Amino acid sequence: MKGKISLSTEFLGKKTKSPLVLPAGIMGMTWSGMRYVIENGCGIITSKSLTLESRSGHPGPVVAEFAGGLLNCMGLCNPGIIDGLAEINDFKKLMPEIPVIASVFATTAEDFAELSRYVNDSKSDFLELNLSCPNVMDEFGLPLAGSKEQVTDIVKLVKKVSKIPVIAKLSPNVTNLSEIAVTAEAAGADALCMINTLGPGMLVDIDLVKPVLSNRTGGVSGVCVKPIALRAVYESYSRVTIPIIGTGGIASGSDAVEMLMSGASLVGVGSAVYAGGIEVFNIINQGIAEYLKKHNYTNIGQIPRLEKLHEQA
Amino acid sequence: MSRRNTIAIARIVEETPTIRTFYFDYDLQAKPGQFIMLTDLANGEKPFSISECESDQFGVTIKKLGKFTSNLFEKQAGDLLSFRGAYGSSFSLKGNNILLTGGGYATPPLYYLCKELLRKGAQVTVVNGARTRDDLVFCERFENLGLEYKKITDAGCFGRAGTSVDIARELLSNNDYDMVYVSGPELMMKAMRELLQSYPGLNYEFLFERYMKCAIGICGNCTMDPLGIRLCVEGPVLAGHQVEKLTEFGEYHRNAAGKKEYFK
Repeated sequence: MKGKISLSTEFLGKKTKSPLVLPAGIMGMTWSGMRYVIENGCGIITSKSLTLESRSGHPGPVVAEFAGGLLNCMGLCNPGIIDGLAEINDFKKLMPEIPVIASVFATTAEDFAELSRYVNDSKSDFLELNLSCPNVMDEFGLPLAGSKEQVTDIVKLVKKVSKIPVIAKLSPNVTNLSEIAVTAEAAGADALCMINTLGPGMLVDIDLVKPVLSNRTGGVSGVCVKPIALRAVYESYSRVTIPIIGTGGIASGSDAVEMLMSGASLVGVGSAVYAGGIEVFNIINQGIAEYLKKHNYTNIGQIPRLEKLHEQA
Repeated sequence: MSRRNTIAIARIVEETPTIRTFYFDYDLQAKPGQFIMLTDLANGEKPFSISECESDQFGVTIKKLGKFTSNLFEKQAGDLLSFRGAYGSSFSLKGNNILLTGGGYATPPLYYLCKELLRKGAQVTVVNGARTRDDLVFCERFENLGLEYKKITDAGCFGRAGTSVDIARELLSNNDYDMVYVSGPELMMKAMRELLQSYPGLNYEFLFERYMKCAIGICGNCTMDPLGIRLCVEGPVLAGHQVEKLTEFGEYHRNAAGKKEYFK
């Protein structure tokens, strides 16, 4: 009676076997790391955020655990755009059917455009603009995603250059996230990804009397950010028509369904790789499938979405 | 399990002028082959294999190599250090007639392994090699265990000049081992793999080293080509069937930025 349950979906014209996305910064450093994540059930890969020059990132400790999740200040470590795209190309040689999002980070629209030119010449399927890293503020100042003007300038310029769809990765650390979402859409973004890590936050070693992270502060992720991620996605979904990759605190099948229901088209899974192990992708996929079965659905497109917020004035 | 702990260094043993063992009075409950991330929260954080582990203390044996370890060598007993772990995979403890082969400052984790193997009644032979006398450590500890123990240096400090692989080659051809555990510099382990390839049925496990940052399996810096396994979670101990598949083994590793650096 019932059809076969499938988790496959389409995102900006590319097919994926699962709605789960590896977000930027988690595992996406090497072609084999990308492979390992896909073999464990993830659908789409995002690379580390690549910069024009290589970056070693902050010294350790760069991560700290706490009851609600993780604090990190990796500091945008990456081998630079050329070597980073080589890792993506090596991965695509092995798994050409898996969509890859090349994430890039810069501080000016011109540098983002320059990075975009490099990405054009790679096998990447999508370009993600990381406008929202919260743990390099000493070096670069406030995340760009806090400013409508900067978001507009960057997205507009990159859209002129990029030959592949452009995703804007937004920060939750603003008071007007859905405004920024609308701004990014108006500037031509093809999709949004939210949320980057929260904060920044801080943890203290009470014996050494020092902040635990070398950078003092870092982005907060993990289960504690889920309610904020859901709210951010839902409010943005209510106001834009472009698809949203919803990420933040997703650790189970029901979490992922909540995210889809709140308006996400795809679901990012990052910190859960620490808490739940590499098998967490398969566990979440299975949880989504069980939800579909429970409600006699056969695909994730049938998962109902919350009614959109009515626009205020 | 991986909570951070900040405690005083209980004691420091100078093994050679450039190698020291730092002891902490703490019940870490680590398994042989596992590692901790160690920091003073001022000069970075690095992974170190556990060389000794009892219910009341554990130790890590550290070679003075760069800025981080130089800072560490300034510390004295009583100074506070912070660690998290133990992390990673461990030696399986399989085998009854076992060959341990170590190289340089990578040998100490085999000492903890060795004690556990003896505790379960296995017969153990240990080969400990290093470039010079200054890199050869734990000799007395191994000798006190009353087992077959062979030491050698490239420079011939104890008569014969050669490597631990040279001795392992002879031992393997004259004995019937059922398990081999190895911890040494990458190129020494590469030579060991070549040697072990002439013993197809013989199981072995290697302890690897890669640049680690998060140690909890998320940053992706220590993944090994082509499998993509994370050395901090699926490693640092890898079994022979995994080692055989590694294409980067003995060829290259990735630095802090994730750029490939080739072994010379």
